[in-house]
Amino acid sequence: MTRIDPITAAVIQGGLENIAIEMGHKLMRMSYSSIIRESEDFGAALTDATGRQMCECKMSTPLQSGPIPGYVRNVLEVLEGRGDPIRPGDVIMHNDPYGGASHGPDVAFCVPVFHKDALIGWSVTTAHHLDIGALSPGSCGIVDAVDTYAEGLQFKAIKVYDRGEKNEAVWHILRANIRAQELVVGDMEAQIEAARIGAARFLALVEGYGIDDVYAAFEDLMDYSERLMRDAIRDLPDGDYTATTHLDGYLDDPDPSRHHLPLVVTLKVRGDNLTVDLTGTAPQLPDKPVNMPLVGTVDCAVWLTIRSILLDSAVYGPIPQNSGLTRPIEIVAPRGCMANPIFPAPVIARFCSGNQLADTVMKALAQAVPHQVSAGIGNLRVVAISGLNEGNHWVHMEIMEGSYGGRYGMDGMDAVDTLYANTRNNPVEDIESHIPLRVDRYELREDRVAPGEWRGGIGTIREFTFLDDAGFSLEGDGHAFKPWGFEGGAEGHVASLTLRGINGDERALPSKVPYCKVRAGERLISTGPCGGGYGIGFERDPEAVASDVADELIPAETALRDFGVVLVDGKVDHAATAAARA
Amino acid sequence: MKAIGVDVGGTFTDLIYCDLSTGALGIHKVSTTPDDPSRGVMEGITALCAMNGVAPGDIEHVFHGTTTATNAVLEGKGARTGMITNEGFRDILHIGRHQRVEHYSIMQELPWQNRPLIQRRHRKTVGGRLIPPTGAELVPLDEEGVVQAAEELKAAGVESVAICFLFSYLNPAHELRAKEIVEAVMPDAFVTTSSFISPQFREFERFTTAALAAFVGPKVDRYIAGLGQALQDIGVKGDLRVMASNGGVATPRMVTEKPALTLLSGLAAGVLGGGWIGAQCDRSRLITFDIGGTSADIGIVVDGVFAETDARSTSIAGFPLLMPMLDIHTIGAGGGSIAHVDRGGAFRVGPQSAGAVPGPAAYGRGGTEPTVTDANLVLGRLDPGDFLGGDMGLDVEASRAVIGELAKTLGLGLLETAEGVLTILNANMANAIRSRTVQKGIDPRGFALVAMGGAGPLHGADVAAMLQVPEVIVPPYPGITSAMGLLTTDLKYDAIRTQFQVSVSLDVARVAGDCAEMEAELAARFADDGVPAADVEYLRSGDLRYVGQGYELKVPLPSGPIDAAGMAQVWEDFHAAHAAEYGHAFRESQIELVNVRVTGRGPLPKLAAMTAPAGGSLEAALVRQSDCVFRGTGGLETHKTPVYRRDQLPVDTPFDGPAILLQKDSTTVVPPLARAVVHPSGSIIITLGAAA
Repeated sequence: MTRIDPITAAVIQGGLENIAIEMGHKLMRMSYSSIIRESEDFGAALTDATGRQMCECKMSTPLQSGPIPGYVRNVLEVLEGRGDPIRPGDVIMHNDPYGGASHGPDVAFCVPVFHKDALIGWSVTTAHHLDIGALSPGSCGIVDAVDTYAEGLQFKAIKVYDRGEKNEAVWHILRANIRAQELVVGDMEAQIEAARIGAARFLALVEGYGIDDVYAAFEDLMDYSERLMRDAIRDLPDGDYTATTHLDGYLDDPDPSRHHLPLVVTLKVRGDNLTVDLTGTAPQLPDKPVNMPLVGTVDCAVWLTIRSILLDSAVYGPIPQNSGLTRPIEIVAPRGCMANPIFPAPVIARFCSGNQLADTVMKALAQAVPHQVSAGIGNLRVVAISGLNEGNHWVHMEIMEGSYGGRYGMDGMDAVDTLYANTRNNPVEDIESHIPLRVDRYELREDRVAPGEWRGGIGTIREFTFLDDAGFSLEGDGHAFKPWGFEGGAEGHVASLTLRGINGDERALPSKVPYCKVRAGERLISTGPCGGGYGIGFERDPEAVASDVADELIPAETALRDFGVVLVDGKVDHAATAAARA
Repeated sequence: MKAIGVDVGGTFTDLIYCDLSTGALGIHKVSTTPDDPSRGVMEGITALCAMNGVAPGDIEHVFHGTTTATNAVLEGKGARTGMITNEGFRDILHIGRHQRVEHYSIMQELPWQNRPLIQRRHRKTVGGRLIPPTGAELVPLDEEGVVQAAEELKAAGVESVAICFLFSYLNPAHELRAKEIVEAVMPDAFVTTSSFISPQFREFERFTTAALAAFVGPKVDRYIAGLGQALQDIGVKGDLRVMASNGGVATPRMVTEKPALTLLSGLAAGVLGGGWIGAQCDRSRLITFDIGGTSADIGIVVDGVFAETDARSTSIAGFPLLMPMLDIHTIGAGGGSIAHVDRGGAFRVGPQSAGAVPGPAAYGRGGTEPTVTDANLVLGRLDPGDFLGGDMGLDVEASRAVIGELAKTLGLGLLETAEGVLTILNANMANAIRSRTVQKGIDPRGFALVAMGGAGPLHGADVAAMLQVPEVIVPPYPGITSAMGLLTTDLKYDAIRTQFQVSVSLDVARVAGDCAEMEAELAARFADDGVPAADVEYLRSGDLRYVGQGYELKVPLPSGPIDAAGMAQVWEDFHAAHAAEYGHAFRESQIELVNVRVTGRGPLPKLAAMTAPAGGSLEAALVRQSDCVFRGTGGLETHKTPVYRRDQLPVDTPFDGPAILLQKDSTTVVPPLARAVVHPSGSIIITLGAAA
């Protein structure tokens, strides 16, 4: 049953989406640090008064816009608990990972929207900040924070503007406790301006169409998204689908139970309802920050993966991203497991855990819809590099891409961000122009192709030389476990990290490196993971194999060994190939 | 002085002839010949000359809009292209920005991986490295390596080579040396460098732009040479000038050297035409709005200045393109857009289009899906007996049937559904215009909307009303505004130098020196093209941002001597531009001058002013009264609506809507409560809400 005619609904939907796009566009262009403007690690969305998401910006990264409803809900609870009313002109800062935030560095600025003295909605921007005042420089690679307090400043519904008045004290505290404060504060100001623009446009929309019509259209829009998701779930055979993958854990920890950490997903399909049960997932690490906030990280990882598979936008076109999409999905995570940690267990380095969880969800869903998934993905790694320049910190963050597994009818995507992340790399010409770093290499790995009828995607090799004494820290995964192959495809290849000293000595590093000092001339060498293969390698189109050989991605010997393809002068010898494959 | 403008489109090649001294004008349309577009062009020119009684030998200027480069990219049919780049960076074109196109998709394609411009086997790496901030040489170029790479590419049958080195925008020496070597080994190949094509930082984007240039280069070269020859063969002695994406034209030599210049030129001429029409009506703030069968193109003109895109917003077929370009926003909405109920039950219009074949159901060519054209017909806004001047009959019953099916699915009435199709389409288009105006601090309420393309005049007034734009201008020939735009251009060449200078420590002399150098460079170009030095006009600008930001805004630089006082004004202008664009200025922050640019303009003769046909009286222009449906305050209303033959309308005699105006290449809707008048220049001006 709809509440409003379909014409007005379509027009209002277009208006809402246009607002979110404008917010993101302006935030990205006004912001100062490369993690927002180049990597696009930000979010922008409108919600209703209670925090239900109405629309999100298409440019923003899924893991930033997805959590916005959780931020708003917690802001409402905290302020109500304090007896602090929300008023026009307020701007509220929030980053509590146990209060809806994805993790501490993802700070939200929430602008309430009032119409005729009533709170009617929120305009919210989120962004990953370079530094949040944690124990070591940068806001990633804090893999040794022992509790939430070690992760940096915690903002629990702080009014940075109160009825339009700037709360100067908060900004003084911020500047005194955060490294690279000029960039961080500049980015925060950009966030506030973008959120204010969203609020103004939202109000104009409400004034143009009337509050009742806008909300009727929004309710219809949520029903619409919910209906699409329910239809897709109903198409799945009822049953339970279980999958397990592993995180590296702390490979150099004396406690062996921390080396490998299982993630277990059971999807329970019942009609048009889906329960995602994470029972069996490793217990939380009370003093290591790879735990995942249930609200803000786990929920987004689950929703986004299901949505990307069941309502793939390349197949089904754009689908309005709002709270209706998630109604048919229930998530169950035992309290105290890595996917539902208990305060103050640290969570700041949850990025790779969450993406591995997304991969596990895909692995479970693969059993129900084998033609809509990829084989196992290569996970990501994030590095923070920092140093001092005349007493001021410079901080640079780089997300090192993974790759996708093979897909039904298509090879895996090479060298991209995977699943719940979709950031951009920094141009070599930007990096070298702004920080004392030389990029020596950025290419595809060779002869590291997971065989399959549709081969796995290929990861990169990246090399950086430090031109000045500096430090780095890294959070990653995928050094110990190979991405899974599917339908007879082979497993992919793990990632690795090496530090080469000035004298040429090489030291292999694990996937989690707390702040590590380096000297000018030392070189960091990263090889990225390669996704798993899909289908049997010996059934791959021989011409595709010949093409990979011509492109020097694999040598002819590999073509024969892994694909059973015989090449003569680069051309497929069909008879010999048939014999080799027999 | 006689000139011809020829614009090649997907379906038709439009032509316009003008005697610039007398103002005599003729138009013509022929089918585009996709296998060799110059065939259609030559047929059209020959016919147009005959129709207007002019000998080809008397034509002094031929202005040409070509889609040869664009189609080569869209269809993936360019040259077998090679690349020579730095050791360690073979896959910059393949990795891109490591970002997927779609957030929520497993089965998506990545254009740069699924449709590579240059295959990995043809990407060769050589030793050599330059470093910032000055482009100093860290590792000398491995010249032996370049020779070897060129020989390998030659052996592989590569016919075009892009040479792309890191930091070449700071120092082109390695690229230039490598180019010399490659040309010696491959004398028949098209060879270009990334610093020549677009000397700006960000390697993926610059390398891709160079790769695009190399990919289309040989094809563009052959096409332009062939067309030049064909023109000579029929006796045309005048100059050929080719439309570029920056809104100017270029000589055949320039286009051959920088073929990427033409990649998005197809849309530029339309905006120019719209701007010219607006100027004829003394309107200086314009939204040009060009609706065809499948898409709508939007441009902004303020005081004769056409908005340009920033370097990071332009792409073709999913590939980024770093070229100066008019800011033209295209959305998938047009007369052929299909209205449907999607699988979630929502009412949508487009972006799928019925195209020309099968086309709308009304065309009777087998189209079975309801389109925007069908909705217009059902509402009485199109005349079934007078479409394309009566050349094509429209089947109202077929339209009613397909819209009726849709109405049943929606549970709405027939007329309500048809009107809904238009409302949804118009709202989509209004949102697109908002993103170019309101979202950039421009208030559309002070603008006029120039409604062009076959379908523009049908929708212009409704879209304007949604944006509170007070006026709509309908050009004399809405369907050939692009060809007309070709006759309003200048030669226009751009130069750029990277600065990365900060406001507090600016080396003013360097800015002045770089501007002088670029002007000298452009002057030499114009001299080669035979433009007298005194006629050339230079416009300087800078790309500025706050230190730390990643996106620049373009701000004019002083036209006279560049000094500290002038630069102080530039910083002020930047704060103002930032506030206008984003709603906020960070006045405490330092400003970075990223690039300086000079645009040189060599004036060319232009289209003469047009005059409206003498016309008669309203009564004489009246064809009949028809029932048309419009949305009023209380819902849908059916109005007895006069249908006029446009070329018989009296000049300067206002009349009230509703009215429908017929002409061969378009139909204009004047809605109720609006007032329309034929301007002496031949355009129709509709003023919304002004009915007496």
